[in-house]
Amino acid sequence: MTAAPLAVRNATLKFGGVTALDDVSITVNDDELLAIIGPNGAGKTSLLNVTAGFYRPQMGRVELSGQDVTGLRVDQIARRGLARTFQGTHLFAGQTVVENIMIGRHMLMKSNVIQAFFQFGPVMREESEHREAAEEIIDFLEIEAIRSRPVGTLGYGLRKRVDLGRALAQEPSILLMDEPMAGMNSEEKEDLARFILDVREARKIPVVLVEHDMGVVMDLADRIVVLDFGRVIAEGTPEEIQKNPAVIKAYLG
Amino acid sequence: MDPSGIFPTSYRADRRVVRTRWQAIALALFIGLMLAAPYLASGRIIAVMNMMMISAVIAVGLQICTGYAGQINLGQAAFMGVGAYTASILASKTGLTFLLTIPLAGLSAALFGFLFGLTAARIKGFYLALTTIAAQFIFHFAVLNLPSSWMGGSNGITVPPAEIFGFRIIGETAQFYMNFAVALIMIAGAFGIVRSRFGRAFVAVRDDDVAAGIMGINVAATKANAFLIGAFYAGVGGALWAYLIRFVGVDQFTLFNSIFFVAMIIVGGMGSIVGALIGVFVIRIIQEIIATVGPNIAESVSFLGGDIVFAGMNVILGGVIALSMIVEPKGLMHRWNILKSSYRIWPFPY
Repeated sequence: MTAAPLAVRNATLKFGGVTALDDVSITVNDDELLAIIGPNGAGKTSLLNVTAGFYRPQMGRVELSGQDVTGLRVDQIARRGLARTFQGTHLFAGQTVVENIMIGRHMLMKSNVIQAFFQFGPVMREESEHREAAEEIIDFLEIEAIRSRPVGTLGYGLRKRVDLGRALAQEPSILLMDEPMAGMNSEEKEDLARFILDVREARKIPVVLVEHDMGVVMDLADRIVVLDFGRVIAEGTPEEIQKNPAVIKAYLG
Repeated sequence: MDPSGIFPTSYRADRRVVRTRWQAIALALFIGLMLAAPYLASGRIIAVMNMMMISAVIAVGLQICTGYAGQINLGQAAFMGVGAYTASILASKTGLTFLLTIPLAGLSAALFGFLFGLTAARIKGFYLALTTIAAQFIFHFAVLNLPSSWMGGSNGITVPPAEIFGFRIIGETAQFYMNFAVALIMIAGAFGIVRSRFGRAFVAVRDDDVAAGIMGINVAATKANAFLIGAFYAGVGGALWAYLIRFVGVDQFTLFNSIFFVAMIIVGGMGSIVGALIGVFVIRIIQEIIATVGPNIAESVSFLGGDIVFAGMNVILGGVIALSMIVEPKGLMHRWNILKSSYRIWPFPY
């Protein structure tokens, strides 16, 4: 059996006296959609930030396909196959949709500065190949009509879709999504939910979803991990989680 | 925005710089006119054009570093000076051909710039600006205080003329073609860089360095690279300067010059190669007008004294720059783009 695409082992993260994560372990299996839920301040985003390399845990390890990536820089972890989308968006607002997605292809391209200066044949070919891959993603997300619009002029729902497209352009082996549905209307939520399912089905990319919208989580997730006060209090299928007394207690107080 | 009826049919066509037939014709006409310029225009105008082409190379480099990668750089004149001194020393002491001294000048300036780029990994904005000012002072200090047999000290260095196949490039006309050829290559290269993965990484780091990191872009290395490329351009420009003036001295590369390069890219428009060229043209023209009109005014109002008139002229130059930033903070290129898209969609509002 091959190693899990993502495993966080016994991660502990402290900010001064506050323990954001306390001995948290999660494993994401192949083709799995794992949702992480929990009340505000439970440590969901901290867990994503530890995984993506924004924070370095005081204890524990992060493994991507069995490879230890703890303590590596954010871009090094990204190059090892981890992509993430942000709560709100961190898009390059002045750039067009195509340019944003092409930035996602950056790490897969190989040309050097001198080749770029002279625009040798290989650079042209590389640009065209990656542009084709970017167009394929644009096609997948059904954003053809806005491909050359600056991202800053788009509505929130479309921006989220571009954000997802940019992450997919990295051809990740695992995708983390931080509250993708926040601030959307139900129609936009349905659209994005369909795309998230498609990512898993058609592209076989396991997804870790941090989300507050319980309806979305229960419908989409294969497995749910519940955090409270930086600790994993429950883990299981949506049906199991709905009946779990510890979860009900954490949510209802 | 493309005019109606122009649809790129391949990805290669979609990333062309010259997108319409009229643009191609205009570019060909411009290059033709430039090649014919020494036979059409007076020596004075050719001298100004020489200066403009050298400034263009340096300003385009600054545009990549500051306009694209967002790394404020007030040391561009020092980087230019490093290039100028490298070319001068190599040419006068080893007699290397300019075909080698110009790229080597670029490389040595790039190395110097790269050192300051490394600081950009840790500091941003105002603090980075101050650090790059240090480049100016380190450069001055090194030239003036190292043994004068190394870099000429305060006496400067006399540069032998550039030579190719036994033909000495002396005089404004010959130098015009040399500068034009180098500027053409460097500007074409700049278009190549900004449209490549590097250009996109620069913009990504400028717009959002957190997101750039998660895209697998090494933010610190990208910033240092931006300085490296910007300083390479400055070094090449400095080498051209050395061959044009045939003498380098430390007071040719001051903070004042650096600020003018920044003014050029701001007036022209940040984040656009053409904008940098427009900025160079506008600022150099204004400087030239002031240099021409100044003495006349000083003569006609002699009771004011020459000093006050010249100081006043510089105030006017500064005022023009400040005014253009107030009226169009995004630069002339932005204004031109608005104009262009509005006539392309005319008579419709959008």
